[in-house]
Amino acid sequence: MSERIRIYMTGVGGQGTLTATTLLARTALDQGLDVVAGEVHGMAQRGGVVESVVLLGGWLSPKLGHGEADVIMGFEPLETLRALPYLAPGGVIFSSVDPLPPLGVSLGRDAYPAQEDINARVAAAAAKYRHLPCRALGREAGSVQSGNTVLLGAVCASGVLPFGPEALEAAIRRHLPPRLVDVNLRAAALGADAVRSA
Amino acid sequence: MSHPLLTAVPGERHLMLGNEAIVRGALEAGINFVTCYPGTPSSEVPDTFRRLGGADGRYRLEYSVNEKVAVEVAAGASLAGAMSLVTMKHVGVNVAADPLLTMTYVGLPGGLVMLSADDPGCHSSQNEQDNRHYARFAGLPCFEPATAQEAKDMTRDALLLARDLEQPVLLRTTTRLNHLRGPVETGPLPEPAARVKIAKNPQRFVPVPAVARGRHQALERALAQARSRAEQSPWNRMRGKGRLGVIGSGIARAYLADALYAGGWEDRVRVLDLGMTWPLPEEMLSEFLSSCDRVLVLEEGAPLLERDLRALAQHRAIPVSIEGKGDILTLYGEYSTSAVMRALAAFMGETASLPEAPVAATENLPGRPPNLCAGCSHRAVYYAVRKTFGDDAFYSSDIGCYTLGMLPPLRMADFLVCMGSSVSAGSGFAMAADKPVVAFIGDSTFFHSGMTGLANAVFNRHDLLIIVLDNGTTAMTGHQPNPGMLQDVLGESAVHLDIESVVRGLGVTEVTKVKAYNLRNLLKALEDMKAKSGVRVIIAEEPCVLYARRTLKKVSPQIATVAEQGAEARRCLEELACPAFTRDGDVVGVDETLCAGCMVCLQVAPGVFRARKRGE
Repeated sequence: MSERIRIYMTGVGGQGTLTATTLLARTALDQGLDVVAGEVHGMAQRGGVVESVVLLGGWLSPKLGHGEADVIMGFEPLETLRALPYLAPGGVIFSSVDPLPPLGVSLGRDAYPAQEDINARVAAAAAKYRHLPCRALGREAGSVQSGNTVLLGAVCASGVLPFGPEALEAAIRRHLPPRLVDVNLRAAALGADAVRSA
Repeated sequence: MSHPLLTAVPGERHLMLGNEAIVRGALEAGINFVTCYPGTPSSEVPDTFRRLGGADGRYRLEYSVNEKVAVEVAAGASLAGAMSLVTMKHVGVNVAADPLLTMTYVGLPGGLVMLSADDPGCHSSQNEQDNRHYARFAGLPCFEPATAQEAKDMTRDALLLARDLEQPVLLRTTTRLNHLRGPVETGPLPEPAARVKIAKNPQRFVPVPAVARGRHQALERALAQARSRAEQSPWNRMRGKGRLGVIGSGIARAYLADALYAGGWEDRVRVLDLGMTWPLPEEMLSEFLSSCDRVLVLEEGAPLLERDLRALAQHRAIPVSIEGKGDILTLYGEYSTSAVMRALAAFMGETASLPEAPVAATENLPGRPPNLCAGCSHRAVYYAVRKTFGDDAFYSSDIGCYTLGMLPPLRMADFLVCMGSSVSAGSGFAMAADKPVVAFIGDSTFFHSGMTGLANAVFNRHDLLIIVLDNGTTAMTGHQPNPGMLQDVLGESAVHLDIESVVRGLGVTEVTKVKAYNLRNLLKALEDMKAKSGVRVIIAEEPCVLYARRTLKKVSPQIATVAEQGAEARRCLEELACPAFTRDGDVVGVDETLCAGCMVCLQVAPGVFRARKRGE
């Protein structure tokens, strides 16, 4: 039996979190792994929090509870912070550092937590963690939207999953529309490089 | 069209959304006809059929105006011999309950499966009703998948059973099943099912009292047949050993499997996986109950199975203790792996080594509630209504994106009952209230069940102002067609209906149509209507901003920018609360990527905002 891993992904509606979830799940399936992904569509997507899970190795439940995620992928730093209770003991975190302020912050009613505070709380919770400038690396790859693929590239290169960045590259080639392949390959490579150079 | 759902050959493995797997299962059964009313979490089923485009005439799809109509149209097709699928969310089944509870009497020769997508946890619904009640209430054999593979295979089997028994069958899912993705091994894709040849038979198909009495007995005979199928069904399986039993149904079976694995308890209990959940396989269940001293029942929602098992044990004098709902496994919301682990641990007398979260729940973080989009035309209307009526009116809301207008600062929802209720509940509210009532209803909801309330309001001389928020599409659920949609978008398969003509045709004389982004005209129309009484209708038109961008390919070349900082800029930010606004101390800004260019802020605070070209 292959190793069982539970991944919790979180971001903001409209950010492409579910597209990234599907790409990661397809990558796993192409590697012959058992995979279940879980999402919630609908009202939550109107600018709200979008959370999803990818479970590898035989798990069946399409959702996670607190303390169950071996890996947290945060596509937005506040949402990474909100997701911390989902982390399992010894879990690892990969997070974007690019804030998308919620409306309450934009309107001056709430304060967005400082990145240093987020970093400190992530460091205290995780066995291993990486914060990545996904937006900048996505732009470098050719489109801001490919920032999510940067994070996927980083996770795949980190050795926490039962497959490496080559598997992600193959899935990008196989499953993304042709016009998006090159930019996403570059984004995945930039994410992988960021982890390797650490 | 080339799509894995159509091209996959037997034995291929594809990652499918639960709802896509349902589509493949229907195709593998030879589906002829699909009707629906969209509703989360069911919508991707018809939307996937729509994307496949009919698959070269394999099937026909229709977006009906509401769930009752969808069921009746599908039932009619099935009466005429077609294999039909009708899809909706759980509350839609209430709308369709009338045809549902009689079509089980007459039976449907072509076969019909009703998908009821339930939503425990209210992810996007007004209640968490458990539609397994309908299986018992109406007399519907019921399947409850827990994986993508089962979603595909059970849909196929449900349709084949429906045709075989000539009885409608319920496919009952929950949000987690509809929206999970998992590997699905495809089966053969046969030609569409042949139409069943029908002979006229009013003694069966016209349930006048004399016929209906006999058909009630026919229904019970059909359910007895279905029960024997459940006894043999591959979806009902026993495994494990010991005197402690666990019976799981629906998605709770997934939590059970994971909890047994995580706890290392796979050899500690005897398990019965119930996939075909109605009628109950009483012989199999009796055997299972007899082999156990105690049985734990896992079912989200109401304790239906738990009670049925107690009744069965009592009836057959089986000495077994049946446990289920309690402090851990409640009536409310969803189950989870950890809840099932805790329940199993308590059941087995174990101190479970449950996963401990290293981090306690994060508190005091800024919330991120769902919100009307930047440039949403509903915001403009709500702003104008608040300017006109303030808190001196009651606001009757309805089901759609526009329900989100309940949040401050717009606060445009005081009550809501169900889909289409804004007009009728608003009528009644206005009779008893001491302030005027303004009702909001979207275009799709208007056609769904607002029209009947409007006819009633005219007929019974009610007194309320109705604002039809016409954004030209079914926005909340993902831009499905409705009769109000533009003819060009509908294409050849459907015909556009004009809302104003319908309103006037129903006898409303005070009707006006305005562009939602035109604040001056909107305010003038509101002032005019405020001064009048009786049934008044304002139709506020403007395409949904997402639909305009994605489908109509309309993007405003301009965006708003702040020309003058100060109190007025802050007032506009606070009163309009558009997500494109930013604030840094006292400095107001407009996010260029989020701004849709609706230019409503320019009208709210003239001189403070100005337009500029996007990207400059």
